[in-house]
Amino acid sequence: MTPIDTSIYAAVSAAIRAEAQRILTEGQVSAVVGYTAARRKGSAQPVVITDANDAARLIFTPACVNNLAVYLTKAKKEIPKKGRIGIVVKGCDLKALTGLMGESQLKREDLYLIGVPCAGVLASTFDPARELTADSIAPKCSECDAHLPQGCDFLPPQTPATPALDRKYAAEIARLEALTPQERWAYWKEQFAKCIKCYACRQVCPFCFCEQCLCDRNKPQMVETTPRPAGNTAWHIVRAMHLAGRCAGCAECERVCPMDIPLNLLNRKMAKELKELYDYEAGFEVNDKGPLTSFTEKDDQSFIK
Amino acid sequence: MQKYISQHNLNTLLDKLIAAGTRVVAPRMNTGTPLYEPLTSSSEMITDQLPRRSAKEAFFPVCEDIMTYEKEGQKVSVSDIDPARFPETVLVGVRPCDAAAIPVLDAVFSWDYKDEFFLERRRKTTIVGLACTTADDACFCSAVGLSPAETKGSDLFLTPLEGGGYACETFSEKGETLIANHPELFSEPNNAPPLPLAQPQTEKFDLKRVKAWLDEHFEDPSWDSIATRCVGCGACAFVCPACHCFDIVDEGTEKAGTRRKNWDACGFWKFTHHASGHNPRDQQPKRYRNRIMHKFKYYDDKFGQTLCSGCGRCIRVCPVGIDIAAIVDEIGKK
Repeated sequence: MTPIDTSIYAAVSAAIRAEAQRILTEGQVSAVVGYTAARRKGSAQPVVITDANDAARLIFTPACVNNLAVYLTKAKKEIPKKGRIGIVVKGCDLKALTGLMGESQLKREDLYLIGVPCAGVLASTFDPARELTADSIAPKCSECDAHLPQGCDFLPPQTPATPALDRKYAAEIARLEALTPQERWAYWKEQFAKCIKCYACRQVCPFCFCEQCLCDRNKPQMVETTPRPAGNTAWHIVRAMHLAGRCAGCAECERVCPMDIPLNLLNRKMAKELKELYDYEAGFEVNDKGPLTSFTEKDDQSFIK
Repeated sequence: MQKYISQHNLNTLLDKLIAAGTRVVAPRMNTGTPLYEPLTSSSEMITDQLPRRSAKEAFFPVCEDIMTYEKEGQKVSVSDIDPARFPETVLVGVRPCDAAAIPVLDAVFSWDYKDEFFLERRRKTTIVGLACTTADDACFCSAVGLSPAETKGSDLFLTPLEGGGYACETFSEKGETLIANHPELFSEPNNAPPLPLAQPQTEKFDLKRVKAWLDEHFEDPSWDSIATRCVGCGACAFVCPACHCFDIVDEGTEKAGTRRKNWDACGFWKFTHHASGHNPRDQQPKRYRNRIMHKFKYYDDKFGQTLCSGCGRCIRVCPVGIDIAAIVDEIGKK
């Protein structure tokens, strides 16, 4: 399989380390959220650094898969929110931060954005030492329009060279759209039947910041909590609908699903609908009104019959 | 008892069992994901991948009905689920880390309360273990005192041989019965050497030292550095062969419904959320601490056993790369 050129990552890592050390030393930020190496060969994990000396631990590699924006949301109260926070962001992660700013969850001035010139990351870290190739790369990277995140406070000067790849989501959505409704239903029933309600999809999602998820409520119970077909299907439909017009495609839900359910397909399908209906794409600018939370006379009304 | 069975005869055995109405559960692919599931034919069985979820679900399903109710006017009728109706099962191709965890679970499911849902399935299931020939760097069975050839938990244990087929060794009456019922499929042991076994690279933990440290460090700043990044999902607990917490919920309408038992996880925020609104484990590191304490201290205190068989699944699936092998190794060296 065609290898993806990640040779810039060594220089990108060095630039991130130097910048993190500088902003921590100068007191511009109270903490930097980034990635560091872990025990398994090739592995990386999120890390929160508050001491400038620890900046040397920061890295960027194809195993730096996480969208660190999740650590700045209400759902993660353990990260200190005092003062300005530095955060290492890929283009896809930045889209989530942009969305969170639009939803008044974050303020731009409270963040110091360290951008990553990103050629792509792994689809899965089951084997973190796997080489980055056209086969092992995350499907989202095959459709990425943000290899160089825009509007960061710091961006290393390297330019990633990602070859044109087959657009995996577009192809799969086209395949599913061509099926009959019965066939599509059968496909998703089979996928949702695997769900064990571990909620990893929810817990890594930067937009799942509700302090109490509707699906955790039992007075009244809105969605069956047991991992059975009805409750599983309800849960994934609720999630897809709640993320429509908000999800910018970091695909963390899909990456972390231990049952390999292709969750980002639902999100990409919703994004496609919103593009067609409202010419709207999430994550490019700070909007306080999304297409599903506002009304204009130009909105499509053909569904009213 | 020691015997030999060829791959062909093993397949024949499974097909015969299936034809006779026995539930045969083994690793198979479900829409691209390896899982322990009932087979419809021996050809579905895969032996080259560790199933994503452990074999515990053959005894402790993801979700099961434990009672149903109906209400008509003032009359309420309740029907129990009868465990006697659980099917006879042969669980085949079980990895040593999965098989070894099952007798560990016997302790908690037969302690003060006898959980007949678990225990009846245990009585009715024959476990056929399979030695491991591949390991990755998340595997750490050898670090918790087990090995790729561990036979604990197996009624019959298969070791793949050079040139094909398996050496069979029985460890219980159930294993002997399985052979005795199908004598034509087994032959006397041959001299073929076993395939090279997997070699997990993790150093052996000093579990006594680990426990001694845990005994004294319920409060310790290292819990924050270990688990601040934990996002609070249940993936680790749900793929674990030894985690066994469950929730009980009533689902249905006012007129009829079902009481169900389903997997729960101490990583969840609501796991210890009291009706009063108070939550004694109010931050994620306190929840993750419970995971380590339960596996390496509480279960040892109560049952003299370790609640971890080193399968490495939680390491592979953790969204944020929390590595229990690295954590326990470090604790053992403190």
